[in-house]
Amino acid sequence: MTTTIRLALPTGRIFDETVELLTRSGFALPDDVREARKLHVPNGRDQSSVLVKDRDVPTYVEHGVVDAGIVGGDVLAETNPDVYQPLDLRIGRCQMVVARHQDQRPGGYRELPLVRVATKYPEVASRYFHGQGIPLEVIILSGSVELAPVLGLADCIVDLVQTGKTMAANGLEIDEVLFESTARFIINRASFRLKARVLGEMVSSLASEVE
Amino acid sequence: MNQRSNLQIPSGVQCFYGREARLRKQVERVVGDVFSGWSYEEVIVPLFDYYEVFARAGGPNFAEHIYRFIGREGELLALRPDFTALVAKVVASRMQDRSLPLRLFYSGEVLRYQPPKAGQQKELFQIGLEHIGNGLDADLEVLLVAFEALGRLGVNDAVLTLGHAGFLVGVLEDSEVPLDLQSGLLEAIRARNTDHAGSVLGREVPAAVLEAMDLFGGPEILERAKSVATRPESQAALERLEAISKELYTLGFGERIQFDLGEVRDFDYYTGMIFELHAPGTGLELGGGGRYDSLLTKFGVPHPAVGFSLSLDRLAHKVDEERLSPEQTPRTIMLEKQPARALGEAMELRQKGEKVRLG
Repeated sequence: MTTTIRLALPTGRIFDETVELLTRSGFALPDDVREARKLHVPNGRDQSSVLVKDRDVPTYVEHGVVDAGIVGGDVLAETNPDVYQPLDLRIGRCQMVVARHQDQRPGGYRELPLVRVATKYPEVASRYFHGQGIPLEVIILSGSVELAPVLGLADCIVDLVQTGKTMAANGLEIDEVLFESTARFIINRASFRLKARVLGEMVSSLASEVE
Repeated sequence: MNQRSNLQIPSGVQCFYGREARLRKQVERVVGDVFSGWSYEEVIVPLFDYYEVFARAGGPNFAEHIYRFIGREGELLALRPDFTALVAKVVASRMQDRSLPLRLFYSGEVLRYQPPKAGQQKELFQIGLEHIGNGLDADLEVLLVAFEALGRLGVNDAVLTLGHAGFLVGVLEDSEVPLDLQSGLLEAIRARNTDHAGSVLGREVPAAVLEAMDLFGGPEILERAKSVATRPESQAALERLEAISKELYTLGFGERIQFDLGEVRDFDYYTGMIFELHAPGTGLELGGGGRYDSLLTKFGVPHPAVGFSLSLDRLAHKVDEERLSPEQTPRTIMLEKQPARALGEAMELRQKGEKVRLG
């Protein structure tokens, strides 16, 4: 009997790199995967994949409705799921940073009694500032976070940067790098127990293609 | 005030009826009968106790999940987040003169505060047992009881994953991991995240720790593990697991067990064998437990103990209702014309043990 594996793949920022890595490792997705807008596709060997929002990958894996998934380090840090995280895929490389408007003094926000922080990553932001003993007010946004300091909504932002162009274009400067973010292969705890062999083989196949 | 607003529920609470309620009761009964069949005695413990009781037993990582409240006399109380600490307290206060082993079981809800996450309701229904006593026999007994309980529920495909809390203690000591970094490192080990382990330590992850994270599989890994078991804690752990493995093979459970020496359970109190039960189709653990030889000492009695709990919530999803006991169809008795006579008839049928329904 063959053991089938179901994966959750993120459709956002790291989708192209994910598809490419899977293809190289022998788990090719159908050619039309980008256009077809299907949410559930077969890929290589005995596998199928569900295509979901980046943030939802840990949810699907943690519940065990899929056996494994590929997820950005930013999402992993924000959601902190109880899953196995055996492999750094070295794709989707970014930095999680604190940035402020260029007119403000570097690190000036650290002296405020209460720092207003705009972010898509409330957990990451709270953990960082609380860890340093700095009280903060988290302002949760779902996009265009760079606008917040420009409009005076926040004193600084916690966000992911790849090239830094958007930040520069909006007059923001990076103050601190919280961590380097790369995508990881994550596995459901029960699946790791019950489908150990096939999942182990998949980790090895991916590992040999990781740069 | 709008009456509908009375229907609002606090997040995390649940309520069961119909098929779900029936199924849960049946699972509880079946598992309870198995526990009784092995001479485990039911204990009914309080719903709340002093906060200290739970905080002390569960360790710092656990304390944040406890629902606390202030009692009428200003004392700090908590809703039970776990049964083991309460059972330990009962043993220490009420059964300290009884001779070992003591076999006890419990069933009921525990309450834990947790952010909304996979399969984690705030109210969890657990049914489990504690074997207060020492030795390989006790470890094996609780594993057999767990297998039987699952078997009686028709869950014959469950896999048992065994580990040992002492193994990593020895490995971390040998690798000179500072005490203040241990809990962070154990978290990284639990996730099998070697990169995170490296950033916790701020240096290259010691080879023995990397090897321990990879020690997962059949009984052959116990042999492989010897290369990193330089400390007595790790060696004793391997010896005990080898003995358990040998006996389980002899008893016919060889196909159902595997080992994971990198496993870390979410309670600090485990000191010996630890285990998890998983079954296909359920992405979350059905149950688990282990040996905790120092917990009772915290309550003043130096008894060793081993125990486990099963998640009734997850078992109820997994079991086949038909198999357990299909619902009886009632005899309907019409009340229309002669209610008195109908009621008499219903009483007679009830005397015979039949299920009736007055229409």
